[in-house]
Amino acid sequence: MPELIEMEQRLSRLGDELEWPATPNLAPAVRLRIATRRPRLDRRWVMAAAAAILVLAAIAAYPPSRDAIASWINLHTFFRTVPHLATPTPLPSGPLGRRLGLGEQTTLAEARAGVRWPLLVPASLGQPDEVYVQPPTDRPSGGEVTLVYAGRPGLPAAGETGVGVLITEARGAINSEYFGKMIGPDTTIEPVTVAGSSGYWVAGAPHVFVFVDSSGQIRYETLRLATNTLLIDVGGTVVRIEGNLTKAQALQIAASLA
Amino acid sequence: MEGRPTDDAELFARAQRGETAAYEEIVQRYQQMAFRTAYVITGSAADAEDATQEAFVKAYRALAGFRAGAEPRPWLLRIVANEARNRVRSSGRRQSVELRLAGSFRPGGAAPSPEAAAVAAEDTKRLLGFVSELSEEDRLVIANRYFLELSGEETAAALGIPEGTVKSRLSRALSRLRARVEGASNA
Repeated sequence: MPELIEMEQRLSRLGDELEWPATPNLAPAVRLRIATRRPRLDRRWVMAAAAAILVLAAIAAYPPSRDAIASWINLHTFFRTVPHLATPTPLPSGPLGRRLGLGEQTTLAEARAGVRWPLLVPASLGQPDEVYVQPPTDRPSGGEVTLVYAGRPGLPAAGETGVGVLITEARGAINSEYFGKMIGPDTTIEPVTVAGSSGYWVAGAPHVFVFVDSSGQIRYETLRLATNTLLIDVGGTVVRIEGNLTKAQALQIAASLA
Repeated sequence: MEGRPTDDAELFARAQRGETAAYEEIVQRYQQMAFRTAYVITGSAADAEDATQEAFVKAYRALAGFRAGAEPRPWLLRIVANEARNRVRSSGRRQSVELRLAGSFRPGGAAPSPEAAAVAAEDTKRLLGFVSELSEEDRLVIANRYFLELSGEETAAALGIPEGTVKSRLSRALSRLRARVEGASNA
């Protein structure tokens, strides 16, 4: 349509004539912050930043407390116990995959084709409402897939994630970690066995959950609160089931994985 | 296209290896695009500066997730725009960006007559006025695509929507803008 093309040209010319506020030179401030890793305390963000500092301080203060519980099964998760659980900064807005750091949205068929392990889907929940995939270059060497189930009767959406159930499956080298959990005093960790698979049921007060990148660094932008979570090792695949679930519901979902 | 003495891919690879000097160069290279994108979203230069600074720090920490060979601009814009939107949301106020013509405004073409220049200037001012009257959604897609000269993929990243949606939004926004322009000239 020539009229629209002409309009596009006029708008491009108009763009050249606009006055923009001067771009500040951000490099020195960014350099400083990268070097110190201290969140900047701008007025409106004082509370959120203070909370983030608490979390960072908690990580720094308890470096050796990596729990050995996950070492004999392949949970690819580090646990750290912290005395005070802080509230992380708000999650970024946007589509779910970005908000929760799940990767790119895809279909179940494509996700199955993209990973080397037999992708497990819980028969008790049926087909997922959304599927996300994280390429191996970003996180686990074998890839990572997340199945998302919207809230439904009996499985209300959790405030922490906005969805009913999140099931993340990942596979990679033994002893490599992709998930991190910071557990406060009001969260309990209990060993469980489901259909021959071992794991842990993490429940009670929400805990801080974070993804770890392929080089083992914590990805701070994915730091968020997680609700009750079941972590199990199913034949070398770590399966993480998170939601406002009772232990019985989580175990039932895990038992129906096929 | 501006001159690029060092290849983006090389700069990102060096930054991923922990070379902060390489990352500083990335910041220098992209800060204008990032800042203006944040400004369009927040409507405030101070908020845009905060958001852009925060975004570059977050992007640095997320560098491991940047795939070799990927386009850096959409990747950065996604982080910047998320940060800018977070700021708008957390501050609870929505300030629409106010775009103004530069003082040294000169319509295109070499040395037009003063009369022609005045007519062109008036046209441009009116067009900007019509753009300002559009809905927030229409204005944002137009500002990103034409004023910031972002590609379709980059606009999608800045708006947090699929590229296909950018195309359909743009075409609707252009039609509505054209209808206003025509409506005014027929009035």
